[in-house]
Amino acid sequence: MPRAIRGVLIECEPAIKSIIVHLDSKNNDFIIEDLDEQHLVIKENMVFLLKQKLEERLKETYRPEEPLADSD
Amino acid sequence: MSVGTQSYQLSDYLEKLPGTTFRKLYQQPPTTFAIFRRMLPPLAKRFVNALLYMPDPLPLSDLDIWVKAEGKLQRDRALSILRSLHIVQITPPGKDRVQEMQLTSNFKKSYRMVLEGGGDEQWFGVPSDLPVDPAIDIPFLDRYARKKWEDILHYVVSSVGVGDTSTGSGPKTSVKDLLLAGHLVERRVGSQGGISITQAGFTFLLQEANAQVWTLLLLWLEAADHANDPGMDSIDMLSFLFMLASLGLGQAYDTDALTEPRKNMLPSLVDFGLIYIPRDTRQYFPTRLATTLTSTASPLRSVAAGFAAATANTSGDISSLGATPGSEPEQQKGSVVVETNYRLYAYTSSPLQIAVLALFTQLNMRFSGMVSGRLTRDSIRRAISYGITADQIVSYLAAHAHEQMARTAAAAGRPVLPPTVVDQLRLWQLENERMRTTGGFLFKDFDTPQDYAAVSGYAEEIGVLVWKSDRKQMFFASKHEQLRDYLKSRKKAE
Amino acid sequence: MPPKRKAAPGAAAPGPAKAGRTSAMSTPGPGTPRSLDSSMVSDADEDFDEDIPEEQKEREEFLGKEADDFVNSWAISSSKFQSRPNKAKLDAASVYFGKRDFSYLQLKPDHMNRPLWIDPEKGTIILERFNPLAEQATDFLITISEPKSRPQFIHEYVLTTHSLYAAVSVGLNPHDIISTLDRFLKIPLPDTVRAFIEKCTKSYGKVKLVLKHNRYFIESVDAELLQTLLKDEVIGKLRVHGSDEITTDYAPTMQGLVIPGTQNAAGVKQAALPAADKKGGEGEPAAETDLYTTLNEEDDDDDKEAVHSFEISDHTVETVQKRCLDLGYPILEEYDFRNDDANANLEIDLRPNTQIRPYQEKSLSKMFGNGRAKSGIIVLPCGAGKTLVGITAACTIRKGVIVLCTSSMSVVQWRQEFLKWSNINPDDVAIFTAESKNKFSGNTGIIVTTYSMVTNNRERSHDSKKMMDFLKGREWGLMLLDEVHVVPADVFRRVISSIKSHSKLGLTATLLREDDKISHLNFLIGPKLYEANWMELSQQGHIAKVQCAEVWCPMPTEFYDEYLRANSRMKRTLYAMNPRKFQACQYLINYHEARGDKIIVFSDELYSLKQYALKLNKVFIYGGTGQAERMQVLENFQHNPAVNTLFLSKIGDTSLDLPEATCLIQISSHFGSRRQEAQRLGRILRAKRRNDEGFNAFFYSLVSKDTQEMYYSSKRQAFLVDQGYAFKVITQLANIEKTPDLAFATAAERRELLQRTLVDNEKGGEDDVETDDLFGKAGGRGRGGAAGKKGFGVRRTAGTLGELSGGQDMAYIEQNKAANKQLKRSSAPQTKKAAAENKSSFFKKMAREKERTKQARG
Repeated sequence: MPRAIRGVLIECEPAIKSIIVHLDSKNNDFIIEDLDEQHLVIKENMVFLLKQKLEERLKETYRPEEPLADSD
Repeated sequence: MSVGTQSYQLSDYLEKLPGTTFRKLYQQPPTTFAIFRRMLPPLAKRFVNALLYMPDPLPLSDLDIWVKAEGKLQRDRALSILRSLHIVQITPPGKDRVQEMQLTSNFKKSYRMVLEGGGDEQWFGVPSDLPVDPAIDIPFLDRYARKKWEDILHYVVSSVGVGDTSTGSGPKTSVKDLLLAGHLVERRVGSQGGISITQAGFTFLLQEANAQVWTLLLLWLEAADHANDPGMDSIDMLSFLFMLASLGLGQAYDTDALTEPRKNMLPSLVDFGLIYIPRDTRQYFPTRLATTLTSTASPLRSVAAGFAAATANTSGDISSLGATPGSEPEQQKGSVVVETNYRLYAYTSSPLQIAVLALFTQLNMRFSGMVSGRLTRDSIRRAISYGITADQIVSYLAAHAHEQMARTAAAAGRPVLPPTVVDQLRLWQLENERMRTTGGFLFKDFDTPQDYAAVSGYAEEIGVLVWKSDRKQMFFASKHEQLRDYLKSRKKAE
Repeated sequence: MPPKRKAAPGAAAPGPAKAGRTSAMSTPGPGTPRSLDSSMVSDADEDFDEDIPEEQKEREEFLGKEADDFVNSWAISSSKFQSRPNKAKLDAASVYFGKRDFSYLQLKPDHMNRPLWIDPEKGTIILERFNPLAEQATDFLITISEPKSRPQFIHEYVLTTHSLYAAVSVGLNPHDIISTLDRFLKIPLPDTVRAFIEKCTKSYGKVKLVLKHNRYFIESVDAELLQTLLKDEVIGKLRVHGSDEITTDYAPTMQGLVIPGTQNAAGVKQAALPAADKKGGEGEPAAETDLYTTLNEEDDDDDKEAVHSFEISDHTVETVQKRCLDLGYPILEEYDFRNDDANANLEIDLRPNTQIRPYQEKSLSKMFGNGRAKSGIIVLPCGAGKTLVGITAACTIRKGVIVLCTSSMSVVQWRQEFLKWSNINPDDVAIFTAESKNKFSGNTGIIVTTYSMVTNNRERSHDSKKMMDFLKGREWGLMLLDEVHVVPADVFRRVISSIKSHSKLGLTATLLREDDKISHLNFLIGPKLYEANWMELSQQGHIAKVQCAEVWCPMPTEFYDEYLRANSRMKRTLYAMNPRKFQACQYLINYHEARGDKIIVFSDELYSLKQYALKLNKVFIYGGTGQAERMQVLENFQHNPAVNTLFLSKIGDTSLDLPEATCLIQISSHFGSRRQEAQRLGRILRAKRRNDEGFNAFFYSLVSKDTQEMYYSSKRQAFLVDQGYAFKVITQLANIEKTPDLAFATAAERRELLQRTLVDNEKGGEDDVETDDLFGKAGGRGRGGAAGKKGFGVRRTAGTLGELSGGQDMAYIEQNKAANKQLKRSSAPQTKKAAAENKSSFFKKMAREKERTKQARG
């Protein structure tokens, strides 16, 4: 009998997928099914946390915000 | 400066109306005049004028004599508009009959009345015969309307802060509700006053004033339609608006001459700033917001002009520039400098313009006549989270670019904005699109490939299939109920 | 000009400068050596103090903190200058600015004709570049404030204690500064700013230390102030007795002083008048000075200002300096070289046809503004002729000169430049490096050496010791400090305290350090005298126009997965070895070689440097490349039409003069170092072809997408972006897949590359050594500078040294030398010929130098 598993489908760039897989590798608490290079299904209740972690992770790759104060 | 084209406009509204509504609308001469003036391209106007006094329908083929062959496209467009507005009717094509066109009867009758006068003079408002307060002159009405309208715009950019006294309490609750209902703003936790702007709201802001007014009025009409209030008939409301558009600026009109439903509309129109009603009088004064509703002339005040006007009038700083207060067009020149290092400087004192800039800029310092800030990833991402697009921001900045930027760019044959900044804004927006999430159900572990094929095929058929892999024999669907039923019925059938 | 401002009698009472108590902020006087712990010159920002002994770090920290406290006590935002109107006008938009809504400052009626705004809280100045007065305002601002942002339309500057200190030191008085600033402002000068300027300028530069006739004088235009100092319990005792208590004289003017190479100089020569005979007026120098005199309405009444002075003895100089600082009057040093009879004059002048450029003249006029030499720092972009500025300064002072460089390579270049631009007798320019320890023949001359040669006192050879004694035993007229930004403050302390010089001129392209210790240079060397505008110089054709781009290279999934798992060291290697980056590099090299460009590829990461160069069959140089091989490679790059791409490790960041290069590609960099980015850009600014019609140089940074490199890359660009450079982001290189023989085109190749990279770097990669001489490495590695190597080279990865000599690495070097070796075999004859044709070749001199050294040793 086929199964229908509730979850959230993520469509993303390969790099984002790599990060998600990497985040999951610690406790296996995100991913339900790894579909292909750009798709995976994750647990519905973990979406928010995942987005947070992802943003955290990607932050180190973004243009840094300079303080506007020009205090130096 | 109209940037967004996707905003909801009068033509969109009218096109949705059924023919019966038009017949009612065209019973009112001011409406025919307004529609003629505002909605028709020049060629369509010429057709109307030609048909107006023609006793018999005109064979469609005769139009070919009027219009040169290369103008066929324009001719078709004009005809299409005239038909969609139910101004002309054209007989259907038949084997033995030539196609003919003529004006619809109500339109023809009312529009003739507009041109010839006569009939009921009340169509165009009844001037008040009571004494008029001399303080209520055109400049007064302009200031009044500007204030009202800016309150609304301020509200949209969420700049009406708590404890802020200078702008008063902002627009009336009814207006706020309209803006919310029209999704120009939405409630959002943590934002100033609990609301924040949306993409539609930003588009709204970037429109010229005339388009802005119509956007709001159409929301008003739609709200009336939804409310199903027998006292508020949207067709009559629209007719009333067209009538207001035909009134004279600075002229007092008699409220007693209005029908009861129209009297009931007055408070809302006061809230929008379209009319002014002095306390304890039976007079109403249309403002420029009303009298220019159907004019095709340059708008009363675009936001940009509004900024310049506000700058000139509220602070008194810029008026010392040497530019005379009356020379508003002069001041409509752009005021915003964007540098390659993402710094932004805007020559403005207008709280409204500053509030608009604050939507996507990290502001830093303010002097009289000038503010400085920076476009940062955070500030742009915040704007994007409101639904404002990078392209909208780019258009805004380009449209308001300081004349120095425009001049330098023109001289060098380069774009006005630094290309690297434009690229970066778009890249920041792309960051948002790197991942898409869809809630739903993963279907897997099918017993047979046939099962998989059938169910996934069905999912596709009913439009719930999001992703599938024939190799993995899995698919993802946004809903599962129907699929479950389908699966059950399939099993039963076996 | 009579003294206008009398110090209040109580002015000498301990002021806000109390915090500043140590010599960290003073300029240590000559002849007062202090015991200092050793530390090595470093080029790394983040980690240069890793191997410095603990107690020294503490000391450095302490001194640093003291200096910071001192600076902070003067910062404009400190509350004592603030007075905000209570009833600031508020409207709906005020909420966006908080305390930074200054719209309560009403515009002046004619504000349209004035180009500036100023922020009353932080002293940030906004300049309209399109204002008719912008040029004048810019000249003024560059003197009194720090440039922060100089793109196209609107510039920002900021007033700081240091900038005002510099303004005073070049001769502006508070009245000049305040009235001129007020005149340029659209709004009234805020009281806070006025108070800040008065406070800073009152104490700065009021007291000068002057070395005249080889005697030290404390000098001031303010007689009362001198009296106050004399009454001080410490200073009073130190006055040389028997001399007049206070002598009064006239303040020096620029009168008669002509900076060589300027228009004035040309005029002087035409008139065949000895410079010294020229009387004032005609000799007035740069337009700069004119500006101030015209702007200063009231100060034309008298040309001469009375100055007062008393004498102190040599050995008390530092004590007096310290004391004055405690009292809130930091001492300024000036050298009245025209009246220095004790030190022999040096026969040196610029060659007759040498004309210096306007901005070079402007910067020098700051140094010699009143006819004396002031110590300080001049900031010019690479390629803008810093060396010529230094040489012109030497030709102006015409006394013994000591030049300190960062590498032996640049030592040789400096000497060459002296010979090229001036008429100095070659025998009078001597070199002191590990290999060469010459003295000049006459009784005065020029010595060119490196920081490490004069600061490294461990394991000094007999020759070196003798040489050092020679350097220490003399009084130098001018100390030229090249690339001042790379040298830690403590090294300066040691240089400055061991070698006596009357004036110091620091030269640099970027006064930037990620550790913000740059402010300490102000106290050790002197204020920043001038900072050029990069964009302006490039528009005027003095430096090349550059197109900058950042190329985003996505990482293949298998690389990125590995990246996510890797430690930080391996991460660096992986984002450098990203095959897509490699392909981008290959593509750009092909593209630009086809255009006729000469390309330098920079990599900080040694492993990838070698891998790239080997795979692409290009020549390369890194710290471990021997001197002879370097020369060979450089010569080929310059003259051999078949060698158009050169891979360089970070040893090429500075000092390497390769005007042939027209295109730069960065594949790996030093974290977020803004300075390295600017220096590397500097490698193409002097491109020979810069004045060709429509010429553009190219600067590419290849970054691996979604890695920390992205973050670092934009951080690195911050300085250049604020100079007006725009970095275009390229996310896709057109038709890259059509590149012939595209490397790593198949998944199998990429996987193999990944495996090899992981295995090869398992034990931690190899760090490049720093600029050669900092380690005493050139011509015999480890011989002179073993201590340095130990103290420095190891700092990032334990075991690096071991690996450098280990079998694994040797294998690499052998393998990778292929490209360079091939070069030797195939093109050596050709280049020899090329070199022979080029008489002025740098390398011939280099060879001769070596020959000499050999003989000396033999």
